[in-house]
Amino acid sequence: MMPIAPGTRRGARVVGVGILTGWGNGVTALPANAREAAGGRAVVPLGQPVMDGERFRRATRECLLGVEAVAATLRDAGLDRAAIRGNRTALLFVTAGAYGPSNVDFVLGRTGTLHFPYTAPSALSGEVAIEFGLTGAYVILIGAATATVDALWQASRLLAAGRCDSALVLAIETFADCEALWRRARWTLPAPLVESAACALLTADDAESAYRAAAGDPGALQAEVETRAGRTLAAAPLIALGLARAAGGGIARVGGTWRGRTAVIELATAGGAASVPA
Amino acid sequence: MVTPLGLDLDAFWSGLLGGGDALTAIERFRTDDLRVGRGGEIKKLPAVATGVRSRAAALLVGAAADLRARARLGAAADRIAVVAGTALGGVEELEHALADDGTPRRALDALYDGPAHAVADWLGARGPVVTVSAACASGATALGVGADLLRERAADLVVAGGYDVLCRFVLRGFDVLRSLTRERVRPFDRRRSGLLLGEGAALVLLAREHDVRGPRLGRLLGHGSASDASHIAAPDPEGRGLEAAIRAALAAADVTPGDLDFVSAHGTATPSNDRVETAVLRRVLGPRAGAIPVNSIKGALGHTMGAAAALEAVMCLLAARDGLIPPTVGYEQPDPACDLDYVPGTCRAARPRLMLSTSLGFGGCNAALVLEGGR
Repeated sequence: MMPIAPGTRRGARVVGVGILTGWGNGVTALPANAREAAGGRAVVPLGQPVMDGERFRRATRECLLGVEAVAATLRDAGLDRAAIRGNRTALLFVTAGAYGPSNVDFVLGRTGTLHFPYTAPSALSGEVAIEFGLTGAYVILIGAATATVDALWQASRLLAAGRCDSALVLAIETFADCEALWRRARWTLPAPLVESAACALLTADDAESAYRAAAGDPGALQAEVETRAGRTLAAAPLIALGLARAAGGGIARVGGTWRGRTAVIELATAGGAASVPA
Repeated sequence: MVTPLGLDLDAFWSGLLGGGDALTAIERFRTDDLRVGRGGEIKKLPAVATGVRSRAAALLVGAAADLRARARLGAAADRIAVVAGTALGGVEELEHALADDGTPRRALDALYDGPAHAVADWLGARGPVVTVSAACASGATALGVGADLLRERAADLVVAGGYDVLCRFVLRGFDVLRSLTRERVRPFDRRRSGLLLGEGAALVLLAREHDVRGPRLGRLLGHGSASDASHIAAPDPEGRGLEAAIRAALAAADVTPGDLDFVSAHGTATPSNDRVETAVLRRVLGPRAGAIPVNSIKGALGHTMGAAAALEAVMCLLAARDGLIPPTVGYEQPDPACDLDYVPGTCRAARPRLMLSTSLGFGGCNAALVLEGGR
């Protein structure tokens, strides 16, 4: 396994992408047309990862999906856990609503008293940090694709500033447990809502990352994600990076629109599989 | 800002200097089935927030109105960003969405990024709208992200800060964790037995230094964050993540620990937080640790969660402006494990120039800010 070496510090390069969606693992599992493939389903769910160990006894499904996504990213990058352990890897976590199921459970009294900390979005990333020993810079953003673009930019900035040698941008979205609530927003979020956990590993690079925080065209890759994956909210830009990586890499433009705001980032992306099965 | 001490910046500051507290019996929702029914509750929202749908958004709008009365948003609308930190977002709306309001609007309001978009709309800001949710370190991280947006020229002005609502959801959560005290909130005191929650919102206007024309309250010199990777609900017993965040913020600010004049501590008044935080400050500040005043304002306001770090950052800058450091309300009896200068009793005449503010939260979140008073 290769160690991660700091590169020239101007921007970032995507060197691994892990993708789990309701369609399966990796970009090769994505159908040609999500709407047709969903066959009328409003939500395409992901399963519950099975993980051994006392440490996971309270972890939510979303926490476990985060762990799985990071593990898939390491496989895609050809790295082992030691390569990211410690304070030189930043963790940036994004979600629009993956905290929803634990919040609903707590409101409705369906969980034990010690469940409360798991209502915090930071519990999801916290479990990932514990599992992989990540003690570097730590940012958690709430929102859909635009927030993920912000996180990719933050990761690039941290790498360019020398604050870390690698950065994980992780997004998790689940819908099945709160399907009735999500369906109320069906006019703005047409079906299918596709559960996803996706992660990108970035390292420093000499290519600058072009970031447009409140304008721009999300580009063809993002349109392909919408068509093939369905509505994946915060995971969408990371799935687009996976498509770019599978297509041989290069400069990938990814982005999205949420609550009327569009954000776009262009990132250097190394070619690779982005489809390593779990 | 909007706080239990008052509905604007002046009321907040005079309340802190007065050394009293705003911790009262909670009236807005039932608490009879909980161990603790007190907190820093805002009894009446600002008039400007009348009609705003969610309380979280109303607090933010109240803070934004206070900010706008003091500072002009002199930039094109699409160059004004909003960055809000929160631990709870619109979670109170979730309770309504599940109980008595089946509208699509209510369900979307329950997402944690709803209030930031609401205040951006209210301000007419059309630039980036970012919500940070690093638990109780959210306000600090939000200020840091806001500064980064300016540095990157992604915006020309950033309205940044934090907010959170004292609602039944969070009170019940902290109640079952036994984190709340039935006694007085006593940060760093030998008798400390837990925290009380509060609510509020604090927003500041950030601009690039060369764009500032008039007087300014101060400068955000650096910020840092780090993960504990040790426990979901408790701080790392050695405080390693907090120490890393502080050292990162100092490095970003190009400031040495010896340069610091004042520390605004997270200081929740739980037995473990205050002990861990003291040990970290001792390690970072070194031989000067005992000579640098350290305060916590949570004895006056309660723990306002996502708002806390933003409120504390403003408190630092006001201390530098007026030459007065607010006391640590509730601190009376020293604890051998907490052996710093915690500004007991009354406010202290001192004019700090360089200041550190620290924050911790669930999920192993740690954040630190280095601030400089205005000139």
